[in-house]
Amino acid sequence: MSDSNKILNTVKDSPIIHVAPSPHIRDIKTHTQRMMIDVLIALTPVVIVSVYLFRMYAVKQLLICIVTCLAAEILFVRMRGRSLTIKDCSAGVTGIILALSLPGSAPWFVGVIASVIAMGIGKIIFGGLGMNIFNPAMVGRAFVMIAFAGLMGAGSYENITGLVDAVSGATPLSALKFNNTPAIFTHLFWGNTNGSIGETSAFACLLGGLFLVFRKTASWQIPFSILLTVLFIAGITDLAAAASGMLIVHHMFGGALMFSAFFIATDPVTSPLTSKGKWIFGCGTGILIMIIRLFSGYPEGVMFAILIMNALTPLINRWTNPQPMGEA
Amino acid sequence: MNFFKNSNLAQAWLVLLLATVFGTALAGIQVKLSPVIEANKTRETMEKIPDLVLDTSMATQTATQDLIIQSRVIEIEKNGITKFYPVYDVQQKNGSLAGHVAKARGQGYADKIEVLIGLDAGGNTITGLFILDQKETPGLGNKIVEKTWRDQFINKLSDTPLIVVKSKTGQPNEIDGISGATISSRSVTGIVNTTIADIRPRLLPIPKTEETE
Amino acid sequence: MTDQPTAFERFVQGILPENPVFRQLLGLCPTLAVTNGMKPALTMACSVAFVLLCANIVISLIRNLLKPHLRIVVFTLTIAAFVTIADRFLAAYFFQMSKTLGPYIPLIIVNCLIICRCEVCASKQSVFTAASDAMGQAIGFGLALSSIAAVREILGTGMFFGIRVLPENWPDWVIMVLPPGAFLTLGLLLGLVNWIELIKSRRAS
Repeated sequence: MSDSNKILNTVKDSPIIHVAPSPHIRDIKTHTQRMMIDVLIALTPVVIVSVYLFRMYAVKQLLICIVTCLAAEILFVRMRGRSLTIKDCSAGVTGIILALSLPGSAPWFVGVIASVIAMGIGKIIFGGLGMNIFNPAMVGRAFVMIAFAGLMGAGSYENITGLVDAVSGATPLSALKFNNTPAIFTHLFWGNTNGSIGETSAFACLLGGLFLVFRKTASWQIPFSILLTVLFIAGITDLAAAASGMLIVHHMFGGALMFSAFFIATDPVTSPLTSKGKWIFGCGTGILIMIIRLFSGYPEGVMFAILIMNALTPLINRWTNPQPMGEA
Repeated sequence: MNFFKNSNLAQAWLVLLLATVFGTALAGIQVKLSPVIEANKTRETMEKIPDLVLDTSMATQTATQDLIIQSRVIEIEKNGITKFYPVYDVQQKNGSLAGHVAKARGQGYADKIEVLIGLDAGGNTITGLFILDQKETPGLGNKIVEKTWRDQFINKLSDTPLIVVKSKTGQPNEIDGISGATISSRSVTGIVNTTIADIRPRLLPIPKTEETE
Repeated sequence: MTDQPTAFERFVQGILPENPVFRQLLGLCPTLAVTNGMKPALTMACSVAFVLLCANIVISLIRNLLKPHLRIVVFTLTIAAFVTIADRFLAAYFFQMSKTLGPYIPLIIVNCLIICRCEVCASKQSVFTAASDAMGQAIGFGLALSSIAAVREILGTGMFFGIRVLPENWPDWVIMVLPPGAFLTLGLLLGLVNWIELIKSRRAS
């Protein structure tokens, strides 16, 4: 009994303990801030590409989400009578990630509602940064995805006029799924296809993502295991179909996979703490992504996959909780 | 005496009494209400039938009682599974066959979709489509109940399977998909295709009816 | 016996201070399932009120004949009988509504609110007390259902009782009429009720 209690307590407290090799004593506030600033730097190439591709659509979406997220954070923190946490930049990061995961054509209220839900229901209700079970940006996106399916679904990507002609078409994954028309690899890699404003360029996501991994702000196990799992399952599907490699390319570079694997799944609050746990988390996410993409009505499944694995994170933490020596 | 008092039967006398009283009351209610409920159920289908087999202009003039509607069940055995289609044969007062209405169901995006399909006398063209029951996503999939979408099916030939497309290219067997609800559109179209393929050979000959002339 | 609440107190208690949904968290299945519109919510509330009132009266009448180990059987039997009556009645005279509510009317049988009132109140109190208790609880239940349904129907469809109250270009929050909307609304309203309670108790002290 005392054993399981101990584990429970560890799990309960774990989000605010940053597990890392010694030295253990450091100022948590500056630590969070440093991490968030790293994420902001890593997001820069993605933001630049999205603004270059989608022009005003991207600028509008980014501004709306950042401003609303910050405002919502201030409001909700006030309501709870806590000290302000704006300085740790986490609300800003949530805003940017949320904006980058929305389609450019989504009207203003979609961004506003998504931001308020992300901050309110995604984060503050659970007790603020470090206590949330689900990734706030994904909670906000899931809400508007279901609430305004017509504005968020495949159809909404088609009436946007950006820089490149290719931008005014269906997203690569839904074009492949529903119309069987594949896109060109270079387009998918550099990003001149359609999609949520931040997900189109696999190159920009890789660049920012590798920076995060290099800085050890994001653990390498999670993105690596997600990409590996997706590659594996897409490979099997591809072999079963035409074996042209088209499916692999689409599933790896065509959707929100790169962006989410590096920037969303690696959120330290909502992903497991141990290395083994991170592998389980990543493989689970990869499997769910492919199940949703291949067998459900949605062309893209990254968001739901990550949310489901977020829910399993406490359980994974418990499974992989390292035994102190002598207690095993 | 004590033995009797402690027996299960005596202990449960209240339960047994209540069960009898409630049972009788419920039986009475069932006898009184079941015709009304049955009538509700058939009226739901019957009311739609004139719309589905006749032109709208004629349907407004023709009340249900001017048509002779006969129902039968077509049984199809396919791949070892037996399917039942309730089919309503509609005759004008003068005895000429106006058309058929078939009730069919199939899997939609969220749950089973139940439809009524109207066919002309020979079973050659579709004369109407009505969605009896659906639980598709509000705002997207549930647009299948809208008249403008359903009316696309009218006058489609029944010998070629219908296909759902994003933008029409002018082929006669194309149905415009609902944007964002490809699966719901495809489900309904699929139900129509299978139903017609299944029952069309069985529509004729019509079972014997008493001659009205 | 003197500190037992009177019939009138029981009636008032049921509406807000001991609201079945917001304070006792009873009967949550219909609360979540049928509150996507005002009409189904009120139909459900009326059916529950009918069953609760009839069951409470019958149980109260036979309370002296009840044997402790057979009481739950008697409760269930009584409730099931009245639920069946309500279900058949709706199917006969409100056919569309009965189709919309589907299995949730028969499921009133297992609504713990009713069996709870039978056990807690009706099996120990006089007919008048039991009836007023049932009325209070039923009104409280109806109030809770309609408050949730109002939020969900207005946000989800821009309508109230099927009549448009928000401008035509209101973007329907489809999620609100789907199951997640029920959980979110219930949670937020529960939070609101607790918050009000907290402020009240702070003022009092």
